[in-house]
Amino acid sequence: MSKNILIVDDEPDMCWIISQLVQSQGFNVVTAYTGEDACLKLAKGRFSTVFLDAKLPDMDGFDVAKYASLLKKDKPSVVLVSGYYYQDDPVIHQAVADGIICNFLAKPFTNKEFINILMSSQ
Amino acid sequence: MLKNVLENNFKIQFEMLLNVIPSSVLMINRQLQVLWVNENFLLKSQRSKENIVGRFLAEVFPLVILQSTGIEESIFNVFQSGVPLKGQKMTYRAPGIPFRIYYYSILPISSEQIMLVMEDVTEQFRLSEEVRRIERQLALVVESASDIVLSTDIDGHILTWNSAAEKLSALSTQDVLGRYFYDLCDPYQTQEVRQILQRMKTSNATHTTEFNLINHSDNGKILISWVFSPMKDDFSKTIGTVVVGRDLAERRKLELQLRQSQKLTALGVMASGIAHEIRNPMAICSSSAQFLQEESISKEFQKECARKIQTNIQKASVIIENLLRFARSSLDTEMIEVDLISVLNETIELVVNQAKVQKIKMQMSTQKKIILVLGVPGLLQQVFMNIFLNAINAMPNGGTLDIKVTTIGDRVNIRINDTGIGIPPSELENIFDPFHTSSPVGQGTGLGLSICYSIIRQHLGSIQAESQLGQGASIIITLPFI
Repeated sequence: MSKNILIVDDEPDMCWIISQLVQSQGFNVVTAYTGEDACLKLAKGRFSTVFLDAKLPDMDGFDVAKYASLLKKDKPSVVLVSGYYYQDDPVIHQAVADGIICNFLAKPFTNKEFINILMSSQ
Repeated sequence: MLKNVLENNFKIQFEMLLNVIPSSVLMINRQLQVLWVNENFLLKSQRSKENIVGRFLAEVFPLVILQSTGIEESIFNVFQSGVPLKGQKMTYRAPGIPFRIYYYSILPISSEQIMLVMEDVTEQFRLSEEVRRIERQLALVVESASDIVLSTDIDGHILTWNSAAEKLSALSTQDVLGRYFYDLCDPYQTQEVRQILQRMKTSNATHTTEFNLINHSDNGKILISWVFSPMKDDFSKTIGTVVVGRDLAERRKLELQLRQSQKLTALGVMASGIAHEIRNPMAICSSSAQFLQEESISKEFQKECARKIQTNIQKASVIIENLLRFARSSLDTEMIEVDLISVLNETIELVVNQAKVQKIKMQMSTQKKIILVLGVPGLLQQVFMNIFLNAINAMPNGGTLDIKVTTIGDRVNIRINDTGIGIPPSELENIFDPFHTSSPVGQGTGLGLSICYSIIRQHLGSIQAESQLGQGASIIITLPFI
């Protein structure tokens, strides 16, 4: 059975792009447009990776990431995908060091970069 | 015998009389010997009678005084001419005696005697010195002021003209003395200035106005803010007008700079929100374009990618256009008919990204779809932008930014409420003061609301704040509408 990937972004077009990329590698996709919806889906389902936007209408992306890191079992790898931060942003370094996220991808990205991160996080 | 007694009585009375008068009196003969001296002189010179009577003037007065006054020659002249000499000044300095100033007179009594009367005027002299010092000080204040200070007589002829007036008009005091003040103003406003001066004759109140002064060297017009005050004499009778003027060009320039710097601060705050909002469509375009480069994709998928690229370029473009509008708008200053609701909507567009990033919900309600006001759209937008950004700053943990537009009579009320940390009562009264800021050092210039205040005043409106600590804040702007 193929793995499930959770995509969290309030921009439907962004979700569409990421879905295309994830599905092209044979994974299943689940989408959440809000932080609350993402937490609900995280609690119920099992995901190998979460692609998470940093700024959501109801919650901060980092809070969703923290929630994911507190899950008792089947902790997913969280990849923050955002235009709000940059690659060597101290905030990102800190979040990786604290184990809240495992990787960061700045928008815009190349499809190849995305797929590399997707595959390496499995 | 009787004659002797009478003469003696006269002498006693005469001496008594001369001893009580508060002036120094000396009787002097042709040889310049002192024949008699009164008590007052003995007291002032701190010498005994024996030490003076029968002595020559040169032994009684210090040499330096005799030389500086030439009193010996003057006495000799009075003996010769029989004409009294009055009101001469003598500065009396002698070792061990306080410095005094005298006015003295030399009065002929007979061909053998003159009377030297010395009146001590030290105190009066000091007083007039003090008056002169104060006068000089006042003149210096007027002269050094950066504002124009001038005075006219009751008909408007210039009496005084300070150096600021000389500088701004390029006319010296000599050039303007006696000329009508209104002749130096903008010819279009001569009549108005004449009327103000006319009114000053009977008015007790000051009059504030703005009109141009002409610079004589380049014929340029300088906008000045003037205050006319009636000039009264000691009996409260109006004897002319005092006019104080301030060059508004400097202030306008400063205001413009303040607005610009404040705008840059606002742009800085907006930048992070905008970066996020532009990089999203960019990411979508970028990935879609990469899909299009793949050969195996379906026709339908191709179309979908192209559509996404187009709509997202459009989205980014709108954000950039709004930003450009905001950055450039300060250049226009002309008041035009403008729809307040559109201005509000455009401003909301600009900050809604930043608000979203901070989980702030923005909502606006209005009674009317279009409300026309007379104003400078760019400046009004700057005001709303400022208040919105302040409100967003006050809600670090999210909240609601609510904008209510209502009309009452001929005025429109814009009430901007936030659910943030609120403003402490102590700060509520000075939030419109320049450089007052609640932001941490280095994060706010404190100019924002003072600029809002000046812009709203320029639009003949008012701005006020209401708040309770911990319960959010409201900024209420009132503007006249057309």
